[in-house]
Amino acid sequence: MKRPAMRWTVMVAAAAALLVPEAARAQAPPPATPREMVAAYEALADTILGANKAEVKLVHAILAATYGHAQGEVARARQALKANDAAAARAALENVATAVGQIGTEGDNAVAGVRKRLLQGGHHANAEGERQGIYDDGYVVVTKAAKQAFLDSSKALAMLAREPKAEALDAEWKKVEAAWAKHIAPAK
Amino acid sequence: MEEGRGRLGQAHRARQVAAAAGLLALTLARVPAARTAFPAAHFRFVDVAARAGLTRVLEAGRPGKDHLLDSAGAGAAFLDFDKDGRLDVYLVNGWRLEGERVAERGRNALYHQRADGTFEDVTDRAGVAGEGEWGSGAYVADYDNDGWPDILVTAFGRNVLYRNLGDGRFENVAARVGIEAPGWNTGAAFFDADGDGWLDLYVAQYVDCTLEDVLKAKRTLWWKGLEQVAYGPFGLKGAPDHFFRNEKGRFVEATEAAGLKDLALGFGFAVRAADFDDDGRPDLYVANDSDPNYLYRNEGNGRFKEIGVTSFSAFDGNGMAQASMGLAYGDADGDGIPDLFVTNFSEDFATLYKGLGHAFFEDASKTTGIGPLTFRPLKWGTALADFDNDGDLDLVVANGHIYPQIDGHPEAIGTYRQKNLLLENRLRRDDVPAGAKPETLFRDATAEAGPGFTLERSHRGLAVGDFDNDGRLDILITALDSPPELLHNEGAAGSWLTVVCEVPGGTAIPIGTRVTVTAGGRTMEQDIAAGDSYLSTHDPRPHFGLGGAETADEVVVRWPDGTRSVRKNVRARQFLVVKKGT
Repeated sequence: MKRPAMRWTVMVAAAAALLVPEAARAQAPPPATPREMVAAYEALADTILGANKAEVKLVHAILAATYGHAQGEVARARQALKANDAAAARAALENVATAVGQIGTEGDNAVAGVRKRLLQGGHHANAEGERQGIYDDGYVVVTKAAKQAFLDSSKALAMLAREPKAEALDAEWKKVEAAWAKHIAPAK
Repeated sequence: MEEGRGRLGQAHRARQVAAAAGLLALTLARVPAARTAFPAAHFRFVDVAARAGLTRVLEAGRPGKDHLLDSAGAGAAFLDFDKDGRLDVYLVNGWRLEGERVAERGRNALYHQRADGTFEDVTDRAGVAGEGEWGSGAYVADYDNDGWPDILVTAFGRNVLYRNLGDGRFENVAARVGIEAPGWNTGAAFFDADGDGWLDLYVAQYVDCTLEDVLKAKRTLWWKGLEQVAYGPFGLKGAPDHFFRNEKGRFVEATEAAGLKDLALGFGFAVRAADFDDDGRPDLYVANDSDPNYLYRNEGNGRFKEIGVTSFSAFDGNGMAQASMGLAYGDADGDGIPDLFVTNFSEDFATLYKGLGHAFFEDASKTTGIGPLTFRPLKWGTALADFDNDGDLDLVVANGHIYPQIDGHPEAIGTYRQKNLLLENRLRRDDVPAGAKPETLFRDATAEAGPGFTLERSHRGLAVGDFDNDGRLDILITALDSPPELLHNEGAAGSWLTVVCEVPGGTAIPIGTRVTVTAGGRTMEQDIAAGDSYLSTHDPRPHFGLGGAETADEVVVRWPDGTRSVRKNVRARQFLVVKKGT
């Protein structure tokens, strides 16, 4: 089995030799890439890889801020329900629904605009995950499964805002907490 | 215009489907016994465009469709610009390109309908050829409340607003009134956002690109590894939509102030204004290509809040953004709550968002049969309309692909030129016993819909209207590099009532007016809109199929200012004129 491989190697080498210009063959091998350039490229690589990590952290921070906002609105909704203030409860619950939806879509429309710009530039944070159908295009943290869980809760909360009830809020919020713990909280 | 991305079959999806099926069964169980007896094949549409004189070829870039603009197409409108009671036709045209050269700037066309049902080209006399712009959509509204319908032509370039002078001529006032909005303008909707009696305007934009980008475009996107096709829209920059507040006939850019800033730069196509949450204020839905759709809820005082995600109308039932093109609005399942129908790319289903009330929706595409029936073609203009007058809303969809290159591989997903689709609503059909649950709400009636539905072209815009005033709705459809199709409805049809809403001394078209008709034990509602389908405007006269009923028990017209006009015991088969204040 080795013989054919060797034969191919020889043929490729011969072909390469034929293709290399005469003058180049006569000279010494090309000089190594200057160390300064390699160092600069190393530094750039650090920056690029660092930027990718920073992107993950930033998106986590965006999600955490949104989740925190949702927690605050849940507390506000509970207070309003206790006080029988239906209008305030409705407003707070709608805010909870919006925030939970934004977790599902990995940020609001403004964040989507940034994500679109990155995609336009060819940047996919999870290219392999997208290929495998795990992530939507350009999503960094939120998987499709997580997205669906948050979107379902978002809708349930939005509908609940029509007729706010404390028990229903508690039940749905538990689902949100569980989804958060499962999909988002473990920092990458 | 991205390849289909919808996915069915997930576990939670199955639960959603089961829930939706339950809702549908409940809905159908409430259907009254009065049903319409028709032969199985009762639809018949015949293309009479050439015979009637509608011959303008609509140009669309290069034959190879190297840029998305080459294949976006243009729309059409039914309107009665001279108020003679007969519908006229306006067609929007694009440009013809040869390589990197502009070969011809297509001219728009205004056709005036004669008494004999044929059309006369009055474009030059009226002065509405399109000002040399690459046209997109046609939207008809009386923006200045002078009693004459005006025409907005959205364009790749500058929008054109043709003010109707009332004597058969128009003048372009877009620059003067401030709505030129250079860019790739597509869908639009006139609606009174703040209730001041003046129609405001939302205009969607698609991709941020220049004419040079279009002319120099090369096909670089690999389609299924077989052919290189036009690139985008993924990887391109979206262009921001605009909202203009109408201040007594002049428009002021108010996008951000109204809360309508297009933060995600969605690739905007179709726009529809309607009172989705039934609070008396018009809301706004924007169908985006490859991006989540927007639903802007009117919060009052001309302010809006985007609630697409929480209303469940941004994504399909699987949480996926679809490549949306056109839309229709109406009560498809007869439960009294209007639904939204959105057309999408090929290899993805069109989505029926079942209205749940209060601007909540649920993806009922699969349970209603729409999903499998619409999966394969690339879908554009559309309407929910009662073509057989049996009292339920059928669906028509204009189809056509954007890549001519797929013709080399017809086994993959079909061809570039496609037949349109007619889906019959079975809610009122007598082949489904009252109270029984049909397999699906819609069935494919295309094959039995006559020669008009055998035409294979790359269709785009679609407008519905009763152009010959015979009580049966006809269909006007545009196609790339082709003259339009005017599908004359010659099918068997039930009783009907068309309501003509007039405002004496006021607007020519009372957009936002809602008409409710009760007849034969059911209640149906239609609204008047400018901005619907794909780049097109329908007949502004609400039309109702009454099935076997020869009398409407009640007709209620709710005018945009909240006042009502009520008529009782109205004879069917007529154009009922209802004047505001009476």
